[in-house]
Amino acid sequence: MSRLASILSALILLAYFVAPANASPEKFAEVLERDFKLIQRSSVKTVTPVLEAIQASGFENAQEFLSNWQEKSLWFRKEDNRFFYVTTEDKKTYTLIDVVTGEKIGEAGKRDIKQIKPNSGVRKLLGSALVQFRLVSPDLAVRRASLESISRDAKPEHLPALRNAVETETDLELKTGFIQLERLLTMQFGETPEERIEAINSFAGDLNLEVRANLNPLLASKLEVASQLPEDANIARIIIPGETGIGSDASAISPSVLSWFSEVRPELDLDEAYLMLVKSGAAPAIVTKQERDNTIVKNIKDGMVGRYEIASLNTEERRDAAYSDLVLTGVAEPSPSRSDIEAAVSEHVFFARFDEPDSNVTDAVRNTLGQINASVRWNTFLDLALDAISLASIYFLAAIGLAITFGVMRVINMAHGEFIMMGAYSGYVVQQFITNYTLSIIVAIPVAFAVTFAAGVALERLVIRHLYDRPLETLLATFGVSIALQQLAKNIFGTQARPLTAPDWLDGALVINDVVSISWIRIAIFGLSILFFVGLWWTLNKTRLGLETRAVVQNPRMAASMGINPDRINMLTFGLGSGIAGIAGVAIGLYAKVTSELGSDYIVQSFMTVVIGGVGNIWGTLAGAGLIGIFQKLIESFNPSNTLAAQTYMIIIIIIFIQFRPRGIIALKGRAAEA
Amino acid sequence: MLKKLALAAAISIATPIAALAEEIKVGILHSLSGTMAISETTLKDTMLMLIDEQNKKGGVMGKKLVPVVVDPASDWPLFAEKARELLTVHNVDVIFGNWTSVSRKSVLPVIEELNGLLFYPVQYEGEESSKNVFYTGAAPNQQAIPATDYYLEELGVEKFALLGTDYVYPRTTNKILEQYLVDKGIKEDDIFVNYTPFGHSDWSKIVADVVALGADGKKVGVISTINGDANIGFYKELAAAGVSADDIPVVAFSVGEEELSGLDTTNLVGHLAAWNYFQSADTEVNGTFIESWKARMGDERVTNDPMEAHYIGFNMWVNAVEKAGTTDVDAVRTAMYGQEFPNLTGGTAVMLPNHHLAKPVLIGEIQEDGQFDIISQTAEVPGDAWTDFLPESAVLKSDWKDLGCGMYNTETSTCVQLKSNY
Repeated sequence: MSRLASILSALILLAYFVAPANASPEKFAEVLERDFKLIQRSSVKTVTPVLEAIQASGFENAQEFLSNWQEKSLWFRKEDNRFFYVTTEDKKTYTLIDVVTGEKIGEAGKRDIKQIKPNSGVRKLLGSALVQFRLVSPDLAVRRASLESISRDAKPEHLPALRNAVETETDLELKTGFIQLERLLTMQFGETPEERIEAINSFAGDLNLEVRANLNPLLASKLEVASQLPEDANIARIIIPGETGIGSDASAISPSVLSWFSEVRPELDLDEAYLMLVKSGAAPAIVTKQERDNTIVKNIKDGMVGRYEIASLNTEERRDAAYSDLVLTGVAEPSPSRSDIEAAVSEHVFFARFDEPDSNVTDAVRNTLGQINASVRWNTFLDLALDAISLASIYFLAAIGLAITFGVMRVINMAHGEFIMMGAYSGYVVQQFITNYTLSIIVAIPVAFAVTFAAGVALERLVIRHLYDRPLETLLATFGVSIALQQLAKNIFGTQARPLTAPDWLDGALVINDVVSISWIRIAIFGLSILFFVGLWWTLNKTRLGLETRAVVQNPRMAASMGINPDRINMLTFGLGSGIAGIAGVAIGLYAKVTSELGSDYIVQSFMTVVIGGVGNIWGTLAGAGLIGIFQKLIESFNPSNTLAAQTYMIIIIIIFIQFRPRGIIALKGRAAEA
Repeated sequence: MLKKLALAAAISIATPIAALAEEIKVGILHSLSGTMAISETTLKDTMLMLIDEQNKKGGVMGKKLVPVVVDPASDWPLFAEKARELLTVHNVDVIFGNWTSVSRKSVLPVIEELNGLLFYPVQYEGEESSKNVFYTGAAPNQQAIPATDYYLEELGVEKFALLGTDYVYPRTTNKILEQYLVDKGIKEDDIFVNYTPFGHSDWSKIVADVVALGADGKKVGVISTINGDANIGFYKELAAAGVSADDIPVVAFSVGEEELSGLDTTNLVGHLAAWNYFQSADTEVNGTFIESWKARMGDERVTNDPMEAHYIGFNMWVNAVEKAGTTDVDAVRTAMYGQEFPNLTGGTAVMLPNHHLAKPVLIGEIQEDGQFDIISQTAEVPGDAWTDFLPESAVLKSDWKDLGCGMYNTETSTCVQLKSNY
């Protein structure tokens, strides 16, 4: 029966707009002329009556007008303030189309007309006003847009139209959306409590943010005060001033329960509670300092206030004393004392009353929200874990090249970060030539490797080779190189950040639910890190190059006598480490930014990762990156308002850690450790 | 005796200088290297363009303008040294420069000691008024407050996330905004504040936190004072999280056309920025300005708000010098008060006795081409050196014209101090 009624009312609504009895273009044109200013410089505060007037005109083109207005395709002519739609080919002369008749009425230059740009608040209202038409539009995209309009600005009158749309919708995906939205609207605007409770219960355990955003307002409550708790009211919570705080389900929480985890802030302190009493007229007002002084000034007689000279009233205490004298003589109102205030507050009961009168509904909401919040907590933890793993993989990727050059070869290469930067810029340059993003990234990876491999080899041949066994000089020399490379990048690419655009299939995020999600780029970086780890481990442990590298590192002379060319091995290993940094640069550039300072952002983190993990071992780098990533996210979650502080705490923890395990998590043992 | 000698020496040096005095030196103090070069190089080029154009018109008082460019290299203490060099070695008559507040704070003592003249073109946090500085960028009440009003009134935002880079400008601005929001009836629990380091790139957690703010059904809005290239990672993560501007709008105070040119803007469409100028402002003067900028620097270059600030500041200075008939700092300063010059966005900028401009506030939505769609433009708002929204600053007033004081306490009717070493 109720469904029939709703369909009926929807039809009536539609009929009202589509074929009104008194459709009149004149009325429509009149509204446009009268409200020109309000439409041209529209504001949320003033636009609603205009929308109502336009809809009330019942003119069939009104809908087209509203939707053009919403899409910023409404213009007006400056000389006579008339509205037009326009078409243009060269963006210099515009053909004007009348909004009432839809006929072409001439041309105008760019300077003669102006586009109307409603802000997004107004666009939301326009979208909401258009919902009735759009829900039944033959165009799928328009229907989808109407779904968004309703979810942003739901109104009771949308419900019948939406129920009607659920019946007629043919697109399956959209239909699911409509059904979900219908449940949400029923929850708020349903006619009977049973209907609403059923809708509320249907959302138990649903993590959708929109569900929570619609459930929470149902628990809205207002503070009230009375001498006795009213019997028939739907009470959200009873407040003890100065003690209880607000819980997530609008109930009162006392400090003892949660105070270990977070401070419970009292919802009302004594003064605020008393102020409520004063406002309700149940208690006399507190005399403010200003009022006290005014009263004193009024009662000055011959330079005296009662027993006090004016000149002596230069402290608060004396003014208070003078005022209480005035109270005694009956010329001033007494101000309640502290104990009066406490007594008055304790004689009354403070409570919050739900805006929703039906307690069955609010109970259902509480119950459902409780279930949802429990599951949100678990999922938040899961999300945090995913973030930590993702951050760890980014650190790992940035540090793994260093794990070879610093970890295995013991060369302190301060220009390592600049190799990452070179890799990122290589990716940018490749994208200038190959416009297909997928292909360009595939090409960019070997190009970045080649470029940074060559740069690494050059650096090793020209600088580092001469400085083996002189760590301090290596540090200074490579630091100089890093500054030079940064400036070079600035000269070539400018100081502005360059875009390195990810292919479409890496856009967006893997959304598990509304709490747990991770962007595809981060997943790709994670994959790349694993690939690198396996590849590098295999190279170092299973190939001839790896064997020779390890031999050269352990004892160059012995290795040389076995027929290995240490010079060549050093050069190749350093090149390999640099090349990997280059590939890491492409990956990092995809999710962050490509600037000349890109590398310096990562150099400290990279050294930290390698040192923490344990020098000389890529397992160590993995462990180090994991530890730092997890620590950082954990500290951030405790202190969400200051990311910089989180990083500082983390560095302190690391310093302490290094005190106890100076060789890192995975320390080399035996003779290699002494080298 | 010694004095006489010095005097004689001064006279003998003065004569050859008089012959050379056919030129007026303009100091340009913008970083051309280091992390701020990204923004400041553009301003140096703007100044060179303005000076060239003025010289083509015959210079100032018939004298040629000569730019003196120095590079403080984004190194804050070096700013002070370079300012000293400009004033004592090059003897410039005026300086146009600085971007970050910390660099301005570093220059202040030098410029006050040597009685120089600085035009500062960038939006800043206020709470300062120096006799020797003209602030041609926006004070908080010309950018942050109107943008917040727009959020409250037009978009109906009920929950605020104030995200900023960790340094003086975002911290002061957010302090003002927090107080302002509380005054407007927003609960403290509904204001989320976060600071990140310069160049921060790991935004996933912060973006997730912001999205989660909407769980109680209140409309969430982000006010971003994130500076420099950290913005790129922030907007990328926002797009990846599928946050549309209709659900959670972001209004930025440090993102303009120049910054957007490094970004793929398709996912940012609809997010907001508040400035006193946008390139898309449709006026004739702006058209000419953009045309000459592009002709000089290349077609892909864009114009932005601090450029307009320099444009207004430079032209006002030229007019003030003509009016005073000298480049003497004190005379020019007096001539500056009440100077009017047309804005590029229409309307007129007026120099107030507190060394700030009256300018209109514009709010723009990011479009796909990296330009802004102006959706709101106020009348001219007079810049306020001391904010009215912090109790300790509300009583302060700056008036160099009549009161001769930049930090005047209106309650006690006394000048707190003249130098700006606070």
